[in-house]
Amino acid sequence: MKRRVIAAAIALTLGLTATACGGDSGDGDGNGNAADGKGKTLTVWIMEGTNPDARPFFKEAAAAFEKKTGAKIKVEYQQWATANRKFTTAIAGGADQVPDVAEVGTTWVPQFAEAEALVDVTEEVEKSGLTDDLVEGLKDAGTLDGKQYGMPWYAGVRSILYRKDIFEKHKIKPPTSWKELQDAAKVLKEKEPGLISFPVAGGAEMFAAPFIWGAGGELAKQDGGSWKSAINSPEAIKGIEFYTDLATKDKVSPAKVNTWTEKEVGDAWKKGQIAMSLSGNWTPKAFVDENPELEGKLGAVPIPGPDGGMSRSFLGGSYLSTFDTDKKELAWEFVKMLTTGEFAAKWAEQTNYFPGQNSELEKVAAKKDPLVEPFAQQMLEAGATVPKTESYGKIQAAQVVPGMIQSIITGKSSVKEAADKAAQQMDAIFAKDK
Amino acid sequence: MLAGGGQESPVRRRPSAEAPAARRRRLVHLTRPWLLLAPALAVLAGLLLYPIFQVGKISLQDWEVKFGGGVGEFTGFDHYTELLSSELLWKTVMPNTVFFAAACVGLTVLLGTLVALLLNRLGTTWRAICSVSILAAWAMPAVTGTYVWIWLFQPEEGMFSQLAGALGLIDPATTNWFTERLPFYAIATLNVVHHGFPFVAITVFAGLLTIPRELYEAGMIDGANAWQRFWKITVPTIRPVFLVVTILSTIWDFKVFTQIFVMPGGSGSNEEVYNLGVYSYIQAFGQDDYGAGSAAAVLLTLLLLLITVVYIRTLFRQGEEDL
Amino acid sequence: MTARRSSPAARAGLVAAVVALLVFTLFPVYWMVSTALDPKASTRGSDVLPSGFGFEHFELVFERGNFGTFLLNSAYVGLGTILASAVLSLFAAVAVARFKFRFRTSVLIMVLIVQMVPLEALVIPLFLQMRDYELLNSLLGLTIVYIALSLPFAIWTLRGFVQAVPKEVEEAAYIDGASWFRMFRSVLLPLVAPGLVATSIFAFITAWNEFVFAYTFMKDSEKYTAAVGIYQFFGENSTAWGPVMASSTLVTLPVMIFFVLVHRRLGSGLAAGAVKG
Repeated sequence: MKRRVIAAAIALTLGLTATACGGDSGDGDGNGNAADGKGKTLTVWIMEGTNPDARPFFKEAAAAFEKKTGAKIKVEYQQWATANRKFTTAIAGGADQVPDVAEVGTTWVPQFAEAEALVDVTEEVEKSGLTDDLVEGLKDAGTLDGKQYGMPWYAGVRSILYRKDIFEKHKIKPPTSWKELQDAAKVLKEKEPGLISFPVAGGAEMFAAPFIWGAGGELAKQDGGSWKSAINSPEAIKGIEFYTDLATKDKVSPAKVNTWTEKEVGDAWKKGQIAMSLSGNWTPKAFVDENPELEGKLGAVPIPGPDGGMSRSFLGGSYLSTFDTDKKELAWEFVKMLTTGEFAAKWAEQTNYFPGQNSELEKVAAKKDPLVEPFAQQMLEAGATVPKTESYGKIQAAQVVPGMIQSIITGKSSVKEAADKAAQQMDAIFAKDK
Repeated sequence: MLAGGGQESPVRRRPSAEAPAARRRRLVHLTRPWLLLAPALAVLAGLLLYPIFQVGKISLQDWEVKFGGGVGEFTGFDHYTELLSSELLWKTVMPNTVFFAAACVGLTVLLGTLVALLLNRLGTTWRAICSVSILAAWAMPAVTGTYVWIWLFQPEEGMFSQLAGALGLIDPATTNWFTERLPFYAIATLNVVHHGFPFVAITVFAGLLTIPRELYEAGMIDGANAWQRFWKITVPTIRPVFLVVTILSTIWDFKVFTQIFVMPGGSGSNEEVYNLGVYSYIQAFGQDDYGAGSAAAVLLTLLLLLITVVYIRTLFRQGEEDL
Repeated sequence: MTARRSSPAARAGLVAAVVALLVFTLFPVYWMVSTALDPKASTRGSDVLPSGFGFEHFELVFERGNFGTFLLNSAYVGLGTILASAVLSLFAAVAVARFKFRFRTSVLIMVLIVQMVPLEALVIPLFLQMRDYELLNSLLGLTIVYIALSLPFAIWTLRGFVQAVPKEVEEAAYIDGASWFRMFRSVLLPLVAPGLVATSIFAFITAWNEFVFAYTFMKDSEKYTAAVGIYQFFGENSTAWGPVMASSTLVTLPVMIFFVLVHRRLGSGLAAGAVKG
């Protein structure tokens, strides 16, 4: 309790200081007190694996930041698979244990914000004139009850990736509707029995979601203040049925794929074993780097809708958020530096992800790279987020959607049974939280 | 039983003069075991008593992580009733856990003992080679070992899948061993036994070395064969060693988590293969429901306590007196 | 002492058993090591032989993975755990094996509870306690945790070994006029040496392979142990199998070296003639 009072007092003081600074105004960037970091060191947690090698990037960023503010940067790299636990214990540990700045996955933001660990930077963002430039879907993902908990840093989206050489060889056109997708997969199965025509990966939630959304369904819906599952609605079931039929009826996805996650699909791409699949915009370059034989042989299209158009696809990404430590103003300066301008562009370029600002994103789209443009189109026109509530993070932890897909494609239950069960599991988790 | 080495004085002449010495001896008798225990207990209690108490407390609360600590709201035994009334727990989780643990403990102890006996019969060089090689299996990180086994049983490409395919046992294109409960657990058992038996082998082997050779020689003179010597001499002499390896294997095999979680479908997408470790992680810690997670932890601890006591009482027919 | 009076059949059986044992134990290890040495580790299928041979994954693990530091940290934590848990558990084992006192059974079982509580449940409470002790982000703090985790096994095992020493041997020492501590040092200690070896190996492996505490307690990555180091190669989008296997090999090797160093002590029990003592 006491801690909260103190925190509130600090917040109040800061608010006043901020207003005072705002009163001065005119100096734009301002070398105010906040930016004076001499003798201070910021601890920064960054996720490993987004950038093939993030070290040189952060060396440069740290040098630039030290020149600007005098503060040093200490970067610690964390792993996606295990980082949530590290964050959770650190948050329980309090201000001395958390980093000053951290990369936070969009689906984690609600959880950490709920734990009162993140700093609400809505005002700072507005003051810096950045608000309108942020990619809408991405800004939304990190905003709860009108409070924005950090700056969108980069984002990614999944579309369809295919082997251009093989499509050309058999005169298959990249699919523009579900029917075409199904036909293409069936032709591939017949003509290229050595390849996986279209993996229906049982462990990949984001491979299934576009089909649910594409058929007009939703994972869950908000009704007033509370959430309710929608995964067993007739529309959603139609989407799930189409997707799983590819494995169970058309058999374009072999049994081994039943337990795969996106990671295994990626590994199979690198081994040159896949003809067409959903894949992230960050993957084509990584595949070619690992397997140079794929150079020039990859093509991409947005995920088609049932009768043309596009199916929405999950737009995920990372925030750079500041934690409630005594260096949070300095931390915000660093966040601002990384998420705007030169460094934001450089990061996007090195990682093959998309920057979180419209102005930067347009620059990427303008390059007309055939392996980038379809993804950019998907992101700008047909991006979607999962239900924006802490509960959905729990639903993902319980692997409700992968469990549903897996039980269908292994023949353990019908689409309807599996969807009903998933809906029930979701509702149980929603109910627990309200 | 010998206590502190003090030997009863043969004659008690003048009780009054002896009293201080006797009292001192009794005091020594009373305090020495506790003095010997003190450092170990201090570390254990100082470090874990309060956290374990916390686990118990959290299990009675709706507890969430907040910045700088946690906030709990007392809910009584709700988590326990919810946990115990779960159909999934009784139909899937418990059977998986119990049968898997039983298979692993049985095989680990059996294989470990056999290997220990084998080591005992080998010459120095081969004994060293074998010990080092089984140690490699133990020392290999559990995650890595699990991935290697997954690799070997990977549908289509894995070595064992290809072997089984070549022998006509399975159709590689339609077989995925990881989606069915039995093959899934067979692979997990192989993995856990591979990683666990070296511990038993080394410990039992160390135990075998403490058995005086004279005992065996006496046995041979009496005409006992190897089987009889094992049961009449080896087992009784190192019974405490068997007790400890069995109890510890049981505890570990009930708690197996990583080796299941890392397997395809083991991290939650396939409900059929939940065991207690994975279940409590997914239902509770994965969803930040620490109250429910702690309740599961408390239940597991109580269950293991019960099993341990039953082991001690019946399986080894040792009352508290002999323990 | 090779197989005594062995018939050819018994010898053949022995050879078969050894071969089976080596194949079963070493095959996964071989797979780990050969993948670590395979330059194309990520695309390795079911081939028994690696596609090539090179040390680049090891180089990467040391250069980018900072494994030199991690291994040193692990060694520090591992050795600290062995020494402390050997001393503490030996004292405790003598207490429970050689003395009768109230609550003895209870103490023995309570000690085991430490092993029974799932670590997952303990992580946050223990983290908070270590914070209050100001032992977070410290190798010493981690060592203390591992000592506590290895004590139950060590106490129980050594208790077995102490019990297995015939009381007559001890009594003989007293008759020779030895004090209790002298008896402890020159009779009991050598006799339970094999047990101490077994428990040290256990303690070492516990400390060497534990991940959750080693990861969450350390704010500075320079203080990670080697077990944590392995995980840095499991990326979100792909796993770098070569470095994973190379770092796993590096984690496995020192344990084996340690064993080679201590295993000779395994032979120095009663069987080695100490019974005459």
